[in-house]
Amino acid sequence: MPEVSTRRRWPDYVRASAVTVLCTAIAWPLPADFGLVNIVMIYLLGTTLGALRLGRGASVALAIGNMMAFDYFFVPPVFSFDVADIRYLFTLGAMLIVALVIANLMVSIRRHREVADARERRTAVLYAMSRELTVATDAKTMAAAAVRHICAVFHGTAVVLMADAQGSLTPISFGEDSADPQSGVQGFDLNLAQEVVARGERAIGSAIYLPLRGSRRVKGVIVVCPQPPNCTLPTEQLNLLDTFAAQLSLSLQRARLAETAEAARLSAERALLRNTLLASISHDLRTPLTAIAGAGSLIAQPEYALNSDRRATLGRLIEHKARDMTRLLTNVLDLVQIEFGGRALRSDWHTVDDLVALALRGSESRLAQRRIVLELPSDLPLISVEPTLIVQILSNLLENAAKYTPAGTTITICAAAREDSMMISVADDGPGFPPGDPERLFDKFQRGRSESNIVGVGLGLAICRAAAHLHGGDIRALNNPGGGARFEISLPVSARSGVEAAVEAC
Amino acid sequence: MTEAMHIVLVFEDDPGIQEILRMLFDANGFRVVMADTAARGEQDARLHRPDVVIVDLGLPDRDGLNVIGAIRAWSPVPIVVLSARTAESQRLAAFEAGADDYVIKPFSAPELLARVRAVMRRHVRGALPMGILELGDASIDLGRRVARRRDGRELRLTPLEHRILETLARQPDGIVTHAALMTEVWGPARDNTRALRVYIASLRRKLEADPGRPRHIVTELGVGYRLVVDAASQLEN
Repeated sequence: MPEVSTRRRWPDYVRASAVTVLCTAIAWPLPADFGLVNIVMIYLLGTTLGALRLGRGASVALAIGNMMAFDYFFVPPVFSFDVADIRYLFTLGAMLIVALVIANLMVSIRRHREVADARERRTAVLYAMSRELTVATDAKTMAAAAVRHICAVFHGTAVVLMADAQGSLTPISFGEDSADPQSGVQGFDLNLAQEVVARGERAIGSAIYLPLRGSRRVKGVIVVCPQPPNCTLPTEQLNLLDTFAAQLSLSLQRARLAETAEAARLSAERALLRNTLLASISHDLRTPLTAIAGAGSLIAQPEYALNSDRRATLGRLIEHKARDMTRLLTNVLDLVQIEFGGRALRSDWHTVDDLVALALRGSESRLAQRRIVLELPSDLPLISVEPTLIVQILSNLLENAAKYTPAGTTITICAAAREDSMMISVADDGPGFPPGDPERLFDKFQRGRSESNIVGVGLGLAICRAAAHLHGGDIRALNNPGGGARFEISLPVSARSGVEAAVEAC
Repeated sequence: MTEAMHIVLVFEDDPGIQEILRMLFDANGFRVVMADTAARGEQDARLHRPDVVIVDLGLPDRDGLNVIGAIRAWSPVPIVVLSARTAESQRLAAFEAGADDYVIKPFSAPELLARVRAVMRRHVRGALPMGILELGDASIDLGRRVARRRDGRELRLTPLEHRILETLARQPDGIVTHAALMTEVWGPARDNTRALRVYIASLRRKLEADPGRPRHIVTELGVGYRLVVDAASQLEN
C-alpha cells in the first residue's frame, strides 16, 4: 500500500545519492582500459536497480546524479563538468534519456504491482470482514468485527455510532487497541457525525465519517481516525472505507430485519395465546359460574321450600364449582406468569416423595374413586426445583387422570433416577388417549379450537409443559404399553443431588 | 356447651366473607367480634380479649402482617391468617410475624373451623409433655429416646431424627418453619435444607404407615413442617 509516499520522501533522495556514490566507488578503481562505455553501463545498472526501490522523483534524481557523476569523474577532463570531446555530450545525453526511461518504466511497473497487491489485500480484508459479519447475529458483534478489521487495515482507531429514531448518536463499539472507551473516540466531532447522519454523505474532518445507510435513513456513522492523525488518504483508500461501511450497513440491516421478524413472530404468538386464554377463561369460568348462580338462586327462594338434603346438594355444588374455578385461576395465573413474565425459578432441594405427597394431598377428594400406586425408590436423589410448579404439574396430571378415567382405575406414579435426568411418570390403566398424536394435547391453543365440556384441560397440560421447560426439562404423553395414558416428566441432571452428599454435609 | 363462649376476633373487610364467618362461628358456639380495619381490630383486641384472632392480610388501612406483629407484641393469643395471598414467601412471612396457621382463600368453612379449633387446643394444652408421642401405630418416648411399634418391634431412630421429632412435637399440629427446625437441630447459621429433607423422608419411612402419603409429618410447602398428632382429625386441604 502506498502509505510510503509521504513519510520516506527525503530518505529516498539520500538513498539515491548513496547509489550514485556506490556506482562511482565501484567504477573508480577499475583500470583505464576497462572502457568508458562499460563505466556508463555500471551507472545505468545502478539507475535501474535504484528505480526498483525508489520513488519517481528520487529515480529521476538518481538518473541525473549518475550522469553528472560519470561526467565529473570519468569524462575527460576528469574532476570537471567540462566535456573535452563534443561526442561525449551525445553519450551523456543518451545515457540520461536511457536512465530516465528505465527509471520511469521501473517505477510504473512497481506502481502496477503495488496496486495489484493492494487490490488483493483489500479483497482479502473485505472477505475476512464479510465472513465475520455473516456469522454475527447482533449489531454489537457486527460493529466490533468491522472496527477490528478497519483498525487492522488503517492502523488507527474507529468507532461505530448508532442513530436512534430521533437521529441522535450513541457509540456501540470501540477499537480494540483502546481499552479505555474514551480514547477510541479521541478527536471525533459529534456535530460533524450528526451532520453525516442528516446528509447521508461521507465527511472528512480530523477523522473520516462514513454514513451507514439503512433502507430509509442513515442508521449510524462509522468514524475512522487513521494513524497518523490528519493525514489525507488516497481515493482508493477512501473507496475501501466506503466498501467497509457499505458491508457493515448491509449486515446491520440484516440483523435489524431478523430482529423485527422475531419480534413480530413472538407478538403474534402472544396475541394468539392471549386470545386463546381469553376464550378459554370466558368459557371455563362461565360454566361453573352458571352452576353457582343457579344453585344460589334456588337456595335463596324461600317459596321453593327446599328440604335440607337438596339444600346441602346445592351447597356442595356451589363449593365444588368454586373449587374448579380456583384451580382454573391458578393455572391461568401460572401460565400468564411463565409465558408473559419471563419468570425466574425459585428453586430449592426437595424429595420427589414430598412433591408427590403434596400433589396427592391437594387432589385427594377427586382421586377418591381411584387406586393410587406409588413406585418411588427410597434412594432417589433430591431435585432442585421450584416446588409449587412441580406440584402443579403433578396435580394437573392427577386431575386429568381423574377426569378421563372411570372409577376404579389404577393411577401409578413412579420415579427413577436416570444418568442425566430424573424421570417422574404418572400413568393410568384407563381408556388412554384419543387416536392421534398425544403430543398435540400440550398445544396451548388446543383448548381454543375444541369446545370440550371438561374444564380447563388444554390449559393444564400447556402449563405442565411450560413449567417443565422452565426447569430445563420436558414432559411427554405416551400410550401405556399395557393400555391407558402415561405422562413422563424429565428434569435435567443439574436438578439432582446425591442423598449421600446431602447427609455428609451435616 | 357449659363453658363460657369463646370470643373470635375477625379482621376482614369484605362484607360477604364477614357474613359467612359470622354464620360459621355463630353456629359453632363462638361470639364473633368483627373488625373491618386494622385500627378498629386492634382496639377490639384489647377491649374484648379474644380467644382466637383471624386476620385477613389485605386490610384497607394496614397490612395484616403488621397487625399480627402488633398483637404478638402483647398477647400470645392464637392467630390464624385468612388470605388470598398464595405465595410461599407470603405464608412464610406470616409465620415469622407470629401467625399460628394460614388458611388460603377460597377456604372451606369446616376446614377453617377445624384449623381454628386446633390452634386454640394447642394454645390451651401447650407443648406436649416430654412423654410418649403416639403417631399411628408408632409410639415414641421422647424423654428416653426410644421408639417402638404397637406390635412391640423396636424402631431405630438416629439421634438427629429424635431431635427433629422432638422439635416438631413441641408444637403439635402447629407449623415449625424450616429455619426454626434447622436452628434447633444443627444450631444457628447452618443452611441444611437438603439434609433436612433427607432426614424427614427417613423419619416418614420409619413412622408413617404409608410414607408416600404421610399423615403425621406433613410438608407445608415453602414454610416448614407440621406434626399432626391426631391423624384422625387431620384436615383435608
